[in-house]
Amino acid sequence: METLPILSLILWLPTLGALGLLLAPRDNAELARRMALIVALLTFVVSLALPFGYRATPGDASTMRFVENLPWLPMFGASYSLGVDGVSLWLVLLTTFLLPIVILSTWDSVHTQVRNFQILMLLLATAMIGVFISLDLLLFYIFWEFTLIPMTLLIGIWGGSNRIYAARKFFLYTFSGSVLMLVAIIGLYVLHRDALAIGQPGYTGTFNFTTILANLRGGALQLDATIERLLFGAFFLAFAIKVPLWPFHTWLPDAHVEAPTAGSVILAGVLLKLGSYGLIRFNLTLFPEASRWAAPAIAILAVIGIIYGAIVAFAQSDMKKLVAYSSVSHMGFIVLGIFALNHEGVSGAILQSINHGLSTGALFLIVGVLYERRHTREMAEYGGIWKVMPVYGGITLLVTLSSAGLPGLNGFIGEYTIMQGAFLAPELSWPFLGFAVLGVVLAAVYLLRMYQTVFMGDLRNPENQDLNDLNPRELTTLAALCLPIIALGLYPAFAFEPMQASVGEVLTGIATAVAGR
Amino acid sequence: MVPTSYYIMLSAALFAIGVLGVLIRRNALVVFMSVELMLNAANLVLVAFARERLSIDGQVLVFFVITVAAAEVAVGLALLVAIFRTKHTADVDEVSTLRG
Amino acid sequence: MESLQIPPVDLRLLTPLLIVVGWAGALLLIDVFFVPDGRKKITGYLAIAGLAVAGLAGIPLWNLSGSTFSGMLVLDRYSLALTWIFLIAGALSIAVALDYLPRHAIEQGEYYPLIMFAVGGMILMAQSADLITLFLGIELLSITLYILTGFAYPRVASEEAGMKYLVLGAFAAGFFVYGIALIFGATGATSLAGIAAYLGRQPFAPQEETLFLAGASLVLIGFSFKIALVPFHMWTPDVYEGSPTPVAAFMSVGTKGAALAALLRVTLALEEAQTFWLPILAVLAAATMILGNLGALGQSNLKRMLAYSSIGHAGYILLGIMVAAERGAEAFLFYILAYTLTNLGAFGVLIALEQRGEAAWSIDDFAGLYQRRPLLAVAMALFMFSLAGVPPTAGFMGKFFIFTAAYAGGLGWLVLIGVLTSAIAAYYYLRVVVKMFMQEPVREVRPELTRGLNTEILIAGVATLILGLLPTPIVLLVERSLVALGG
Repeated sequence: METLPILSLILWLPTLGALGLLLAPRDNAELARRMALIVALLTFVVSLALPFGYRATPGDASTMRFVENLPWLPMFGASYSLGVDGVSLWLVLLTTFLLPIVILSTWDSVHTQVRNFQILMLLLATAMIGVFISLDLLLFYIFWEFTLIPMTLLIGIWGGSNRIYAARKFFLYTFSGSVLMLVAIIGLYVLHRDALAIGQPGYTGTFNFTTILANLRGGALQLDATIERLLFGAFFLAFAIKVPLWPFHTWLPDAHVEAPTAGSVILAGVLLKLGSYGLIRFNLTLFPEASRWAAPAIAILAVIGIIYGAIVAFAQSDMKKLVAYSSVSHMGFIVLGIFALNHEGVSGAILQSINHGLSTGALFLIVGVLYERRHTREMAEYGGIWKVMPVYGGITLLVTLSSAGLPGLNGFIGEYTIMQGAFLAPELSWPFLGFAVLGVVLAAVYLLRMYQTVFMGDLRNPENQDLNDLNPRELTTLAALCLPIIALGLYPAFAFEPMQASVGEVLTGIATAVAGR
Repeated sequence: MVPTSYYIMLSAALFAIGVLGVLIRRNALVVFMSVELMLNAANLVLVAFARERLSIDGQVLVFFVITVAAAEVAVGLALLVAIFRTKHTADVDEVSTLRG
Repeated sequence: MESLQIPPVDLRLLTPLLIVVGWAGALLLIDVFFVPDGRKKITGYLAIAGLAVAGLAGIPLWNLSGSTFSGMLVLDRYSLALTWIFLIAGALSIAVALDYLPRHAIEQGEYYPLIMFAVGGMILMAQSADLITLFLGIELLSITLYILTGFAYPRVASEEAGMKYLVLGAFAAGFFVYGIALIFGATGATSLAGIAAYLGRQPFAPQEETLFLAGASLVLIGFSFKIALVPFHMWTPDVYEGSPTPVAAFMSVGTKGAALAALLRVTLALEEAQTFWLPILAVLAAATMILGNLGALGQSNLKRMLAYSSIGHAGYILLGIMVAAERGAEAFLFYILAYTLTNLGAFGVLIALEQRGEAAWSIDDFAGLYQRRPLLAVAMALFMFSLAGVPPTAGFMGKFFIFTAAYAGGLGWLVLIGVLTSAIAAYYYLRVVVKMFMQEPVREVRPELTRGLNTEILIAGVATLILGLLPTPIVLLVERSLVALGG
């Protein structure tokens, strides 16, 4: 279709940048930062072609666009195949958008081994983009697992005092979760190959997601209910740990608190979305029956996560921990939306993934700003900050309100759509809506309490007297994040519109499953 | 002619004694001898079967086993001497804290 | 009794083997008479050259296949592929030893020909189609390894390790020979083809069946000792720890690889025995994966940790053997190659860090390595991730192939154990990475990187990455190599 392999370009530009950085001198931090920033901006600019070039209408045979396909392991039918649809489009863009912001933030938050930090960050970007655009299950798994290595090193080398524990926990948790997914991928491959080999002997099978999905829907491959549930469970576990869904969330607060600011931003902003993306892309489409079967139970876990995260966040005195637990709560919303299993819920979940990436990413940056100045994140240390840092206070207010779901900002649209989806889902309906509303209220409580403690009141602590307001770099990063926060709040249709056809496609299996009952 | 099963029983007994020797005895020299006993039990069985089946393969293997066993013991004794020299002890029991 | 006839002999089929063994013999003499003391590296280079020549001599044999010595030895692409893997393992093991031996004051010229003899034994095992030649190959390999294990004279640990290895090796050989004898008694043959032919004529007399089953069990015990399968693995950590590190490196990939390769051939040949053979292998594989990896958890001595890890890996490889007919053989070959390169690389780093006269390979020595030797630390991290099976490394691809083959072969529960134990394994491999990158140095360790070592680590590292990212050409090669086996 396209003459230019634009997805490959987006995917490998960061890696090329990382390789280029390897050649740069080790000690020139400024040069490394600039090089990384240029690469990140370049990637972002290239990726802008995606939303403008993406066209899909409901009823298309496939809503995948920019598809690339090259043989990779022909004997296993694994290929280098890429593509984006309405589900992954915005997530790719979120990644490329956050990348330059994160790199820009390293000027203030990373001071040792700057070059290596940038290399790892760029490699991580490639891995994350790869997860979003892989259409081959094996390729997907490779990118999925590879995200672990740079992220673990980012936490473990540049993190806080307890970084080793956090890095180890992060790696082991997510690795253990995903090995089962490998079994499921292999299982799906073998089942698919054996099913089709009856018709065509010598068939090598394929890892191509689109082909397997088409055969599943077309009836060429039929899964036994138990097998389907087991496969669903294996995929689900890997994604649930990544999201993280309660009760698999315990690695998240540790990782967030110990990670350097840039790491936290990318972790909250993109890495968690790998999980929600996986749930939509694989669990819902490949295993619709099992999704229906498990949806109520998962929705319960999601709701518990929403409430639990909110309550624990309320109890925190450390701002970063508060934001981390708020992530648990917010990601609960996303999972609830996904397992509402209807158009509203899934679209809302996708949009909320973007929103959460923007606003929580911004919140971590905001906490980082104060931390760089005072080297503490205890809320009690602050108070009346608005008086010395008015610009900072204003931006924080906007971001906090966005995260709390104030109408007119992006968070509201996402949460509202999700709640609408939950309400419309026959299995969920009122009680779940009630808990979700409670979650929103609680979010407003703990976020505004944080805002009040830190920014309002009198300037009690004399050490805060001389704090400087945002420097131009910090202002740029935060302002850049505020832009889409406002834009998505005022004109969400821009984001929703390209999703529609793809969400519809995701849900066809579910719809058939319902009709068949 | 003695039935083959007698040979098998005898060799099985020898083999078992050899195994027990390796497992129980702590003296390296005795352990070597026990290993030899195991190998020779195998040789006995091989020869017996070769006779019964009128096939030469078994006999061929016996020659190889004998050669290999000799090489093994040669290396083993060399190692034993080396240990003996390093540790300066006349008591082999002390250096061979080996078990199966 | 039939009269002894000299069977027709086609030495062409054995070219690599003959070159290796002949060259090794000649080198022993050359070393004594022409290479002066203190310049024994020359012998090492000559040995590498010999291995290279043997490898090149194998190329024209690619399209050849056949058997000789009345079917006792065969040449097919499978054996040839293994031959090349073994030659690479031998050459890399010599490369790391070039500077290791003088540094530890144990430089003796015999080291290099001995490695060559061991490689010869491995090739013999790969080419064997008869239990007699298989036994000879095992013994040629083992006896040279006994010597090499005790090579660090006068270090007592090394001598004791050699002794321990010898006694257990000889013990295993006893089982192996007795097993062969019983199988011979039951079937009247020692060649795999002959045994298979006999098994094809079922049913057989109950007495013969008992003999055969007993014999097969004993042979399997012999194999298990050599491969270090749980519960016959107890010697491994001690022997690895005591032996000179290059020898441990060679053993970890060599003995294991060759014995597994022979086991694969036996398993494939004796298809009729599979109903009896496979359940036992399944139990062994499960126990090996679980206990090998659990054993590694508690180790703070890196050499012992790698020993346990090599036990665990043997369990994964065993999965490939069990489903050899179902693309497992292919997965097996790839895994062996990937594991050989990765493990030799990891041992190479270990050698670089080994200080003279010290017998401690504490994991603490790795603390902060990244700050002092970043490239070395990155290489080691790569090897650790590869051993753990994290993409995009050779180790991941190997595990993926093995698990796919095993799953397709109906061993889903073993695959499950396999992935769960890899998750356990990730813990101890990650510990090394954490030490290197995230902690401060505990004590002064001066890594000594020499040319031979650098080359070895570089080759291993690059190969680990390439096999992980673009395994296609190698897989194609491996696939073709198995045409003759019907795998």
